[in-house]
Amino acid sequence: MNLITGQNKYTLKNLINQLLNRCLSAQSFEWISTKSALIEQEEGAVQLSMTFAQVSRYAPKIQLDRDAPEIEAIGSLVPGCDPSNWSVATLCRIALIMRIKDVGAELYLRKISGLFTAAEMNELVALYTALPFLEHSTQWIARCEEGIRSNIGIVLEAIMYGNPYPAAFLPEASWNQMVLKAFFTEKNVEAIIGLKERNNSVLQSTLKDYIEERVAAGRIVQPGIYTLIY
Amino acid sequence: MCCNENIKERIAGSVQQSSLDLSEISGMKFFDPHVHMTSRTTDDYQAMADAGVVALIEPAFWLGQPRTGVDSFTDYYSSLIGWERFRSSQFGIKHYCTIGLNSREANNEKLAEQVMEILPHFIFKEGVVGIGEIGFDDQTPAEEKYFRLQLELAKEAGLPVQIHTPHRDKKNGTTRSMDIALEQGLDPYSIIIDHNNEETVKEVLDRGFWAAFTIYPFTKMGNERMVEIVKQYGSERIMINSAADWGISDPLAVPKSAALMKRSGISLADIELVTYRNAITAFAQSGQIDEKDFEQLQPVDQAQKFASNSILRGGQQPRIDKNSIIIS
Repeated sequence: MNLITGQNKYTLKNLINQLLNRCLSAQSFEWISTKSALIEQEEGAVQLSMTFAQVSRYAPKIQLDRDAPEIEAIGSLVPGCDPSNWSVATLCRIALIMRIKDVGAELYLRKISGLFTAAEMNELVALYTALPFLEHSTQWIARCEEGIRSNIGIVLEAIMYGNPYPAAFLPEASWNQMVLKAFFTEKNVEAIIGLKERNNSVLQSTLKDYIEERVAAGRIVQPGIYTLIY
Repeated sequence: MCCNENIKERIAGSVQQSSLDLSEISGMKFFDPHVHMTSRTTDDYQAMADAGVVALIEPAFWLGQPRTGVDSFTDYYSSLIGWERFRSSQFGIKHYCTIGLNSREANNEKLAEQVMEILPHFIFKEGVVGIGEIGFDDQTPAEEKYFRLQLELAKEAGLPVQIHTPHRDKKNGTTRSMDIALEQGLDPYSIIIDHNNEETVKEVLDRGFWAAFTIYPFTKMGNERMVEIVKQYGSERIMINSAADWGISDPLAVPKSAALMKRSGISLADIELVTYRNAITAFAQSGQIDEKDFEQLQPVDQAQKFASNSILRGGQQPRIDKNSIIIS
């Protein structure tokens, strides 16, 4: 089961397109529109790979305008999704990914896996942010788990902050790993979607051990951790 | 070998702790356009940041031993634009790279063909400022073939080229590299000829190419020789780099050489060109260098880690006090 289907997916694509139009120059918007059409039609992944990398040449290096009405609309359409943290480049890359036609799981998975393999940091951020919007949702669990093993702060944050995918699809062990890692790397744990709903006794016992270890080492303990235990 | 000196000192019990004084260049900014950071430690990053290195270019090269499959190249290129760039950012140093198939591994033709196929996926990535380092090692036909193919790729992509010149038969190899680049129709102003010495510099400059010098102990240029070259040839189209890698090399070669140039009476304007500005001018032809990303020195501030809003930085690495014997 995917997080977004049917009519909602159509609405989401429209909202993303409106956002693109809002934050890109006329020239860049035309570029991404042309390329998107090519990506939609191509059987292989040459246009996709090139365009995905070239986004940095067309998107201004800024965050989305937090007051854009589409941000709230996307949040209501996809509960837990928070585009206010996205950069314009991330938005562009998500828009490109959403134009990949799902003409069969194998080809679809191969195209997107190819993007992961050659991704630089900002591209990884976009790919992990896009997880809730991908087809074949359960096929991305291993990718998500791999992302949680990353040591790159912004990559972890793309999975942890305002992203409904982990809570919806991760098995308990990797969910627990993500939460523990969030505390360990001093992330803003409040931004994790489903933190309370997916709390469990195994996680609580691990967190208790973790607190004892921190105290024994004379290091600080983030206060947020106690709300999960008691 | 060079390492024996350390062992002799250690046996004699005469190892002395000493520290480097770079105060005469404090406040200056440096750009090291050739340094292989994947081979270096965080201590090196910290020392470079402290010495004023604000940005660097990591050319793709061979890893000391040959790779056996194309996936190793994919992972290597991917690490240059991923993990290594992130590591560098934690010390406030802007990391760029050049992507290419090095000359030694061009001799494995079966593998070289596969590498040529993956190159187009990487050369348009953000922060890729050229094709490099490519060129000649043994000057074999296979090396020439992949050199030419990559020059063609650079021309199509509109990217500068960073050319490695060989250790053996250097003068001929350098001349031949320039001949081939011109034959392929490239503009010499878009090409950086690397690892020059007293024998090669004149021709490189006369023909309109950029001349890079590697300050690398024992095997390449020493910086006293470099001072003489700047005195003789000036600062136009000349740049220096450390090419620090997994051998005995010095990631502080650029700031140290700046200090030596200053002490030797070379003007500050010339020092700035040779240790900073010329590298930017040459590689910014890629359209991938925005000076705003590094012109303001980022202070190492542990508090930034907790501010958590620095989304593009990913948090700063906390500084460890190297002068304390306490490790907390």
